[in-house]
Amino acid sequence: MKRKFVVAAGVAMVASLALSSCSGESADDGAEAGGPVTISMSGWSLATTPEFQVLADGYMAKNPDVTVELKEYDPLNYNTLLTADLAAGSGPDVIVQKEVKFVSTFQEGAQLVDVSDVELPEDIGGTEAYDIDGASYAVPYRQDSWVVFYNKALFDQAGMEYPDGSWTWDDYADTEEDLATALAGTGAFGGYQHGWQSTVQGFANAQVPDADILSGEFGHLEEYYERVLALQDDKAQVDFNTRNANQLTYQGEFGKQKAAMLPMGSWFVATLIAQQAAGEADAFDWGIAPAPQYDDSTAGIDNVPVTFGDPTGLGINAAVEGAELEAAKDFLAYAAGEEGAQSLAAIGIMPALLNDAVVETYFSVEGTPEDELSRFAISTHETLPENPTSSDTAAIQNVLLDLHTAVMSGSEPIAGAIKTAEERFKNEVDID
Amino acid sequence: MATTDATKVAARPPRPSGQRRRSRLAMRNTLLGWSFILPNFLGFALLTLVPIVVLFYMSMTNWNVFGTANWVGFDNFERLVGDGSFRIALLNTLYYSALHIPLTFVVALGLALLLNNKLRGVAFFRTAAFFPYITSIVAIAIVWNLLFSPDYGPINEILRFFGMENPPGWLTSSDWAMPAVVIVSTWRDMGYYMILFLAGLQTVPRELHEAARVDGASTIQRFFNVTLPSLRPTTFFVTVMLTINSFKIFDLILVMTEGGPGQSTLVLSQFIYTKGFEESQFGYASAASVALFFMCIIVTVAQFLLNKKRSV
Amino acid sequence: MTGLLAPPEDARALRKLADSSPPPRPARAASPWRRIGRIGLYLVLIVAAAGLFAPFIWMIASSLKTANEVFSIPVTWVPEVFVWNNYVEIWTQSDMVTWLRNTLFLSVVVTFLQVLTGSFAAYGFARIRFPGRDALFLVYIGTIAVPWQSYMIPQFILLSELKVSNTLWAIVLLQAFGAFGVFLMKQFYETIPEDLSEAARLDGLSEYGIWRRIMLPLSIPALASLALLTFVNTWNDYLGPLIYLRNPDLWTIQLGLKSFVSSLYDTNYALLFAGLVISVIPIAIIFLLGQKYFVEGIATSGMKG
Repeated sequence: MKRKFVVAAGVAMVASLALSSCSGESADDGAEAGGPVTISMSGWSLATTPEFQVLADGYMAKNPDVTVELKEYDPLNYNTLLTADLAAGSGPDVIVQKEVKFVSTFQEGAQLVDVSDVELPEDIGGTEAYDIDGASYAVPYRQDSWVVFYNKALFDQAGMEYPDGSWTWDDYADTEEDLATALAGTGAFGGYQHGWQSTVQGFANAQVPDADILSGEFGHLEEYYERVLALQDDKAQVDFNTRNANQLTYQGEFGKQKAAMLPMGSWFVATLIAQQAAGEADAFDWGIAPAPQYDDSTAGIDNVPVTFGDPTGLGINAAVEGAELEAAKDFLAYAAGEEGAQSLAAIGIMPALLNDAVVETYFSVEGTPEDELSRFAISTHETLPENPTSSDTAAIQNVLLDLHTAVMSGSEPIAGAIKTAEERFKNEVDID
Repeated sequence: MATTDATKVAARPPRPSGQRRRSRLAMRNTLLGWSFILPNFLGFALLTLVPIVVLFYMSMTNWNVFGTANWVGFDNFERLVGDGSFRIALLNTLYYSALHIPLTFVVALGLALLLNNKLRGVAFFRTAAFFPYITSIVAIAIVWNLLFSPDYGPINEILRFFGMENPPGWLTSSDWAMPAVVIVSTWRDMGYYMILFLAGLQTVPRELHEAARVDGASTIQRFFNVTLPSLRPTTFFVTVMLTINSFKIFDLILVMTEGGPGQSTLVLSQFIYTKGFEESQFGYASAASVALFFMCIIVTVAQFLLNKKRSV
Repeated sequence: MTGLLAPPEDARALRKLADSSPPPRPARAASPWRRIGRIGLYLVLIVAAAGLFAPFIWMIASSLKTANEVFSIPVTWVPEVFVWNNYVEIWTQSDMVTWLRNTLFLSVVVTFLQVLTGSFAAYGFARIRFPGRDALFLVYIGTIAVPWQSYMIPQFILLSELKVSNTLWAIVLLQAFGAFGVFLMKQFYETIPEDLSEAARLDGLSEYGIWRRIMLPLSIPALASLALLTFVNTWNDYLGPLIYLRNPDLWTIQLGLKSFVSSLYDTNYALLFAGLVISVIPIAIIFLLGQKYFVEGIATSGMKG
């Protein structure tokens, strides 16, 4: 008796599952063509991440009959919560793509509208991250890229020249060693390397010629890891284990002048300005240098340095149709275009569209470093996606994360770890 | 009403016999039993059982969480058998459980026996033992990480003081990370299981102890011959819960090691979470959950049978 | 608590029935060795307690630091400057009062339902024989073995369809009918001598009456431990409220604190720890009150022996 009940309930449940995701009830229906339209947009930490509100307000000022409502999510669990909402058919109309690797997940799950017909300015960066099989499933509005932050006061104290933009990674490592020697006894290290796998792998994947993690060959990582391990061994930077044991933050290490250099994404510019203003970080002069390069061919301020960084983009929920769809696409074009970019740059965010006028606005923000090299580092770079857009990317990233912790903690030598990772690729990723 | 003298109770009335009577009795008992279970069962069936049945179904599909779920039969399970990471996660989980279950059991029981005494300040010490369980897991991870620090952590300093030249690297070493996690999880969980044992100890009949004492039994003899047998329902409960919770260990690993270094502390729950929420292979993740379910069921049934045999 | 469960005269009578009044222990002369042993025991206990409190003490210390001082090398136990303002800030700038109210509501309702339905169902499993009982019980235990993350999404879809997601009732439903309470209470009912129930049956008490007047009063330590553990687990639950409670007015203390600090420029752990210290106080008080039910004499003594 009870067995039958359970089975029946299960079948009903499965049916309702399938139903809810196929019919995909639109979050708001009944808007008539021409009348006022409301579209919802996801976002996180609205109080301190003003970009969503800025874009929504700017668009609504231009289009009084459209209302853009923000739906706040927890920043750390953004994709999990979004996944749950989309699965239950209650997702937002405009979906902010916080991490590129989830775009192919949502696209394969038929949750995103093809937005190839949204017009984008010509020199916008980061669009390739959202191309799947020749169609676009999101438009980038924000594009951070990785640079090196340096503390001018500590460089002065060590009696060393500021970066000149000509560095390869070997130059960077030499400088870090010299800084560490000169600053010995002051409690400051030459550099700080955060624990993320991208601090090593992101640069290697973007800069080593012909490197492609989708191929399942990871030999290109070896040189990058050896360099970092040497810096750790020489105590030029805090080692990985100490960093983890004390859960060090890059904001604290750089902001409290515990490290003279910090490779980090350009989003840290706005944070550092805010923390210095609030007194949470020490008051010191700092600058931005371009990412060190793989070799001389791309180094120097007469070249375009290669770095990496993922765009943040806007996609549209597949359940949206009719007038809302039109409004949503129009909103995407606005956010990615010149006006959206200007309004973002004015609050210290690096827009995906980075022309001269936008750069001008960006550097007018109070507290932004004004030297030439900082301006060069922010405005000139070839920024490659951190990871290729593919349904295998997430699995490969996890394999490479295990490589990262094994190598950085010193529990496995790099050559062996690469071999392990390549075998796991064959065994777990490349199976069909 | 319940003032009946104990001696009178011992004489039971003869039970009614006969086929028809028995079947009517069975019917009556079934209704009666279900009437007790139903209020809980309604909530349980709707909120837990139904989603789990769906999960079993999904383990036979390539479900990606958004509607599409094509039937793939036992493909997911075949893939699990050949998956190196799953094997590592399985072995790590068993390794963790093999250390954590006996250790926590003994420590929790010891604590409960100690704090069941009439001591001054017993309420304070009981609270102290329970505190790790309610302290923020972030704070726990940080403080223990620091205690385990290979170069200047107090644990290794003590080990060096006692003449160990190369103390373990603990969380930074793939060999020692798991034992370190076990130490922390035992430290964290012992107060939880202590409470269950404390409740159980109150059911041990005092006059049995007195009788044994009169017979000249030592404290240790009394523990093995009186306390432990009387405590059997509790120990059964604690063993089963401890086993299942060990097989499911997740949050502590996540904040302490994230499965690292490498894959040295990767456990099943983390494997399931990664495959599902990070790689969007919910069908495959469901199959791994079903495997975990059957592992627990097999061990539980074994414990159930063992417990039954012993109590006869 | 006893008074709540059974009329006092019944409970007294029961206890009298259960307790075959053991002879008083012979008083022993306190020898000096015994006293030294005692002192040693206390020393050990106090050192152990310090070890158990260490992370909590570090948490209190860190709650008085500045944000960037919390994680540093070498680790500091005493803040450079005592930032008492962290407590003022977390209390005034966040909605802690709302969160505490929500959490208290959830913890009380969930604990009440879990103890009530769990102990009721446990009687069915422990004392009434019917076909399929053991199999059903195994299903109950089996579900404990499935990690919640793996059936979280189907459950979320189901509750969304029922229109209870984003209400406090979602968490009540989620937590109140677990298998844990049923299993725990069933185990304790099995320690209560069957003869007691038989006697009551002869006196004309129904099965419901036996549960109410005999089983409940005699299993107070077990009820106390179930109530304590359920209360604490509901109080500290993070993932459930995270998935189901999207409206900030419905947030619980754990969810609210983490959301509040992670929405600052960068997670401010000093503020988080200040909030967490506040949130632990109610549980510590409840534990101190609840643990006194773990005393001999309330429970039955066996008549099997």
